[in-house]
Amino acid sequence: MNDNRSAMEADPEINPDVLKSRFGRDIARDFDLDDPRFNEQFDETLNFMVRKCPVVHSQVGTGYYLVNTQDEVRRIAQDWRTFSSAKGYQPNRPEGLPYLMPEESDPPIHTKWRHKLNPHMSPKTVAAYEQPIRDDVNALIDTFIGKGECEFISEFGALLPGWAFFKNILGVPVDDLPMLVEGVEEGTFGPPEERAGHFARVFEYLDTHLKWRQTQPRRGDLIDTIQDGVTYEDGTEAPWEHKVSILVDLTFGGIATTTFVMASAIHHLANNPDVRQRLIDDPSLIENAIEEYTRFFPPVVALGRTCTRDVEVAGTEMKEGDFVMLTYAAASRDPRHMDEPDKIDITREGIPHSTFGVGPHRCIGSNLARIELITTLEEWLKRIPDFSVKPGTEPRHVTGFLRSIRELQLVWPT
Amino acid sequence: MRVRIDGENCSGHGRCAKYAPNVFRLDDDGYNADRGNEIDVPAGEEDKALLGIKACPERAISIVDA
Ligand code: HEM
Ligand code: SF4
Repeated sequence: MNDNRSAMEADPEINPDVLKSRFGRDIARDFDLDDPRFNEQFDETLNFMVRKCPVVHSQVGTGYYLVNTQDEVRRIAQDWRTFSSAKGYQPNRPEGLPYLMPEESDPPIHTKWRHKLNPHMSPKTVAAYEQPIRDDVNALIDTFIGKGECEFISEFGALLPGWAFFKNILGVPVDDLPMLVEGVEEGTFGPPEERAGHFARVFEYLDTHLKWRQTQPRRGDLIDTIQDGVTYEDGTEAPWEHKVSILVDLTFGGIATTTFVMASAIHHLANNPDVRQRLIDDPSLIENAIEEYTRFFPPVVALGRTCTRDVEVAGTEMKEGDFVMLTYAAASRDPRHMDEPDKIDITREGIPHSTFGVGPHRCIGSNLARIELITTLEEWLKRIPDFSVKPGTEPRHVTGFLRSIRELQLVWPT
Repeated sequence: MRVRIDGENCSGHGRCAKYAPNVFRLDDDGYNADRGNEIDVPAGEEDKALLGIKACPERAISIVDA
């Protein structure tokens, strides 16, 4: 144990009893991502950990670490040789869940796939989807604007990301979206023993879609690129399961995350008329506001790696095979890298956040997500400039390694 | 001002080109087109370049000569 670790152990704020009374458990030595108290005290926990505990341990299942500071998260995320993604991104991985490409792979396999997939998701490519996405934002708003109220998640937030990805890129019918959203949500937040079953349905659906596309003329789109596959270093062709898993990974990323940033931004604006007015008066601030909301409302709380050898992280000795989570959500509010990280400041410049991940696995959908978020705020504020949370209601959050909002009731004058 | 873009750590966040489009270019994959190389920042573009450097989540751009 080096100085860093002993300093942490000696800190009175990190005393087990003090932590238990403040957070309901000793979060420095037995953290639990699925603890309801983490969901309730989300901001407080992250702010505490990033300042006080570069590394915390969890005893849940076979145990895992959480790494919380921006510098350590970056170092680990970039060092894929020591911290491998190939054994999965979640701790205590459900049995029977097939591995997802490209997320649960390392270079050189990972690099091969990313190089094929990247051009379909680059800033230049997705810029062409801006207008169709903007039209969809308006089509969704049309369905409820006259009512003077909506439940934002089910009527907008859970739909737009799926529409944007399915219509423009994947080409699967949007009517099948609710089934896939449910599969992904339950596969993430449902009872752990049922999660693999929910994911299996999503696999099955996309497997069928990929098979059907084999019978169709080529479109030169993302699906054709996936069909074409890649040749791995050892000369073998990427197997069918890898191709299906890419579709699953993309669908998972495409629908399970953006909703949360969108809903959180709208919720913040509902409660802060002054910020809202600023964006209405000067819409050119929206792009930067979205960057700040993305920093502050991270849908991906933490994702994991497996140590390929014994290694020390901020004074903690980790052993080969240990599972370590990168707390992207905490790293994005590191006071060592920004002023007043616990405040939302829509004019904060050059925001160095890790919400889209760091290292070779950087979110492939980040450019698409940004367009969805920016067009949503632009159109929403034009059409519904004055809105608030419905009196007597409050949004409900759920948190595990992802964070999501289940309900957000809004009202506005008609 | 002269900067170096790291060849291995650039992972295509695209922040550099967003803040300083006249300094940093992206390739078809959406990664910094000059990664692995040094480039000169055109006069007058320094402030924008610095913002892009700050916003890069990989810290992939370093200043070689201020
Ligand atoms: C605000 C929205 C989003 C956030 C915050 C987000 C966050 C992330 C993060 C943190 C990672 C890194 C994984 C790691 O470190 O292992 C990631 C990877 C990924 N994301 Fe996203 N994501 C978002 C939207 C999307 C969208 C819209 C798509 C697809 C259309 C997508 C698809 C993926 C895929 C396929 C990966 C795996 C990349 C790889 O392993 O190389 N994401 N995302
Ligand atoms: S911001 Fe950094 S990681 Fe992103 S493209 Fe530019 S140099 Fe590469």
